Amino acid sequence: MWKQRHKRIQWKKWGFRPVSAAGIAVLLLAVVVTGCFCCELFIPKDPSYFDLAHTSEAPCREFWFGTDTMGRDLFSMVWQGGRISLLIGFLATLLSTGIGILVGTASGLAPEWLDALLMRLTEIFLSIPHLLLIVFLQAMLERATVFSLSLVIGATGWTSIAKVVRTEVMQLRQSDYVLAAKTMGAGFFHILYRHLAPNFLPSILFFIVMDIRSAILAEATLSFMGLGLPLEVVSWGSMLSLSEKAVLTGDWWILLVPGGFLIVTLLGVTEIAVFCRGIPGAKIKHRSRKNDRKRCKNRSLQKGGRIA
Amino acid sequence: MKRIEIVSGVWYYGKKILLFLLSLWVLSVAVFYLSRLAPGDPLVSYYGERAERMKPEERAWAREKLGLTAPISVQYVRWLSGALRGEFGISYQYKRDVLEVIGNRLENTLWLGGIGFLLTFLLALLLGVFCAWHQGHLVDRLIGRIGTVVSCIPEFWLSLLLILLFAVTWRILPSSGAYTIGGTGSLWDRLRHLILPLTVVVTGHLWYYASLIRNKLLEESKEEYVLFARAKGLRKRSIFFRHCLPGALPSFLSLMAISLPHMLGGTYLVELVFSYPGLGTLSYESARYQDYNLLMVLCLLSGGVVMLGSFLAQVINERLDPRIRRRTGTADRADRSGRIDRGDLPEGKKEASARKKIGGEANVETKA
Repeated sequence: MWKQRHKRIQWKKWGFRPVSAAGIAVLLLAVVVTGCFCCELFIPKDPSYFDLAHTSEAPCREFWFGTDTMGRDLFSMVWQGGRISLLIGFLATLLSTGIGILVGTASGLAPEWLDALLMRLTEIFLSIPHLLLIVFLQAMLERATVFSLSLVIGATGWTSIAKVVRTEVMQLRQSDYVLAAKTMGAGFFHILYRHLAPNFLPSILFFIVMDIRSAILAEATLSFMGLGLPLEVVSWGSMLSLSEKAVLTGDWWILLVPGGFLIVTLLGVTEIAVFCRGIPGAKIKHRSRKNDRKRCKNRSLQKGGRIA
Repeated sequence: MKRIEIVSGVWYYGKKILLFLLSLWVLSVAVFYLSRLAPGDPLVSYYGERAERMKPEERAWAREKLGLTAPISVQYVRWLSGALRGEFGISYQYKRDVLEVIGNRLENTLWLGGIGFLLTFLLALLLGVFCAWHQGHLVDRLIGRIGTVVSCIPEFWLSLLLILLFAVTWRILPSSGAYTIGGTGSLWDRLRHLILPLTVVVTGHLWYYASLIRNKLLEESKEEYVLFARAKGLRKRSIFFRHCLPGALPSFLSLMAISLPHMLGGTYLVELVFSYPGLGTLSYESARYQDYNLLMVLCLLSGGVVMLGSFLAQVINERLDPRIRRRTGTADRADRSGRIDRGDLPEGKKEASARKKIGGEANVETKA
């Protein structure tokens, strides 16, 4: 607060922070992601093989991360399970980004009544606790596959992106090039793709990456509650659903291994998101411009009346 | 003048109440239709597994008894007339009056959610103020880093970890329930059962709100009046607690009001893991197993809390922040008069001074 403002602005502009902390998180995330997608190269055992002679074994030489209550090797499971968890995360985010951009742009370009209607719809989605909505929708769909889960998670996570896109589009639609395109007869999707999207994409990058994070977390939570993927399908969430019973018998490795991987992934994604927020071009609060305007119009006397 | 203010005040709150009731009505219709159109058999929740083996005549009789054979609109009117009298029907799962079932669990949820809410915001305020005060120093950066890591930990995982550590390995705290069965149900017993769930609830939300208030405080500190106060020679403590904090407080309080339903309703994952008998698990069960009456009342309750929260947030914002109050008052007057810059014209000056007496430095804001 009292240091030189200039130096701080320079630091903040590029989202710089000591390499040690954020860099480690992203590095670990890269390790996890590559490991998950190339897992066939190094896993020692078949992750879906129920070795009933060795159920609930602590980590030892044969089973590096131990085995779960049904005898499956945790080390192999966690890498292959990561594939599904990450896949669901990406698919759900793809869907939610698509819906969010469409709704936001439609709301931003539309006449006021349509805008108000769409915003009320968004608020209704927001007012119900996110997880309860997902649970309700998933209960309606009954079967849980990778795609149905991605659909449900994506269909509930678009609200933040829609709001940001709407604000941006409302500012952009006054621009000359958009008006020119409209007079030349450009359709909705053409304007969206050629003119609007390149402008609002840096702003929503942060929200997209945070959506990936919440989608992975939502999948893990759903599978933990038993509403997600069945136990035969290996994912971090289904591994964690076994841990509830395992904890009561003190089998800590069943809890720590998938949880640890989940936390590392979420942390890495969050760091990437925070870095995205610091990219120049992303429209965050422009404090300096506001201060300039204020100085010119001498508005400071009216603010809260604390100086007078 | 005062009468006008009273009347407009009553009309303002009256409009809000009408809107509130209307929204509740729309919500009830939506939930009623959606829950009945969703797949799933309510007979299963009433009769349990035996519903699978019932003969068709028995099924028909059961549906008639529960009132499920009539068309949905008729069912809704029946429900609505009962609801307006205060009778919300019985819960299929518990076979008791819905209000009784909710009343049992409401107390538990209020303990957990209420204390969690207050504790979270108190600690978030303290932590945010502390971090903003020491901004840039090692402590602030360390706390920030720890906060980010902690906010990435899934709530259910943290609950399981705490159960593993405190209930299984060290055996000092109970792992489930709200009070010991067969115990005295004393305050100390309840608190012991609350410690672990509260830790999870608070830890899950703490850093989010603490960082919000920290950023708001830092934003306030970049305002011009802070520079002026510093130039005047005020101490950091005075500027911080007498100027920056009151500036950040209205948005913090309105954030609290908006988060009230989120926190009260978001405890259900914690309730699930800790087997804590609260409203969260109740709503999850009623949604999953088609317990229609219970679901209706719970949805209305949560919808009501959400609207109450947003209403409180609005009121707090308008009352505490004079900038918004003036701006809101100005907007109304400008809309009604139709012209915004009346104060500039010579004949407008008389009206401007008259308006000033009514209560607002309107022309000052409208000119800017």
